[in-house]
Amino acid sequence: MKSLFATIFGALLALALSAGSAAAARVTITGEVIDSWCYLTEIMYPLGTAHRQCALWCAAGGIPAAIVDDDGQVYIILKIETDSVNVANPTILDLQTNRITVEGDTFERDGITYLTIARVIENEGIVNLTADKYGIQPFGE
Amino acid sequence: MKRFLLLGVFATLIYAPVAANAAQPWGLNDEEIVRFDATVVDLLCELTGDCPENCGDGKRQLGLIDGSGKLIPVFKNVVAFAGAAAELIGFCGKTVTADGLFSTNRGTTIFSLQFVREAPDGKWRKANRFLIKWAEDNGVAVDSNAAKTWFRNDPRVKALIAK
Repeated sequence: MKSLFATIFGALLALALSAGSAAAARVTITGEVIDSWCYLTEIMYPLGTAHRQCALWCAAGGIPAAIVDDDGQVYIILKIETDSVNVANPTILDLQTNRITVEGDTFERDGITYLTIARVIENEGIVNLTADKYGIQPFGE
Repeated sequence: MKRFLLLGVFATLIYAPVAANAAQPWGLNDEEIVRFDATVVDLLCELTGDCPENCGDGKRQLGLIDGSGKLIPVFKNVVAFAGAAAELIGFCGKTVTADGLFSTNRGTTIFSLQFVREAPDGKWRKANRFLIKWAEDNGVAVDSNAAKTWFRNDPRVKALIAK
């Protein structure tokens, strides 16, 4: 009987966690602001100056922007500071391809890590100079 | 080889007519053509409880919650370099049938939307609302070359590249 209750309780808990708001974890992340689709599909070389123009196109087009840290973890950006607009957000457009350090909250859900940025601690600018090696993606101009 | 592949994908996104109401393969890694029913949600609302009216009126990233409760963010539509908020905002809180591609790479599965309709039997529409809206906002015809290559003509992008 006890195991039946434990099973039901576990199932209800899992359902509640999957259906409602996710638990946040406060983090500090350093990485490059990227276009999530190009990076995750690897349809082209997706980092640094080689990809900056395309990353701007994608951000303006409303594809989710993200940060990839030095370990390759991708964080989908859903909020920056007090601005909860996350489609073609002008601040994110300004930060595309920049290497930044942010403090914020992460939310894990169904294999994706989301990020709300509480503050940008540091912006090193565009430091990943990949265009010489990879050209300008995807069309070479 | 990869370069030819991606040029083919973008040429398809920009110029090719898409077959009626059925997702086309794009040659992405570990790609699967899918069609499923799901509810349209505002991702930030779903995760944090910060829920403006009407899923943020198209200014927020949208996702789909399928029958198993899985949250599926929608990364892409059929327009080159464009996302899916404009495609789905008209269905905020409603159940839709989504037609598109799952692709898996770098350990992550993402969804790209090609067609959508309100479930169970709404009218199918191609996921190209972004381009229609962009053309309207910028005073050009949707079938013009300026719209087809919207990314080269977008004033926000031009200003940033000029910086």
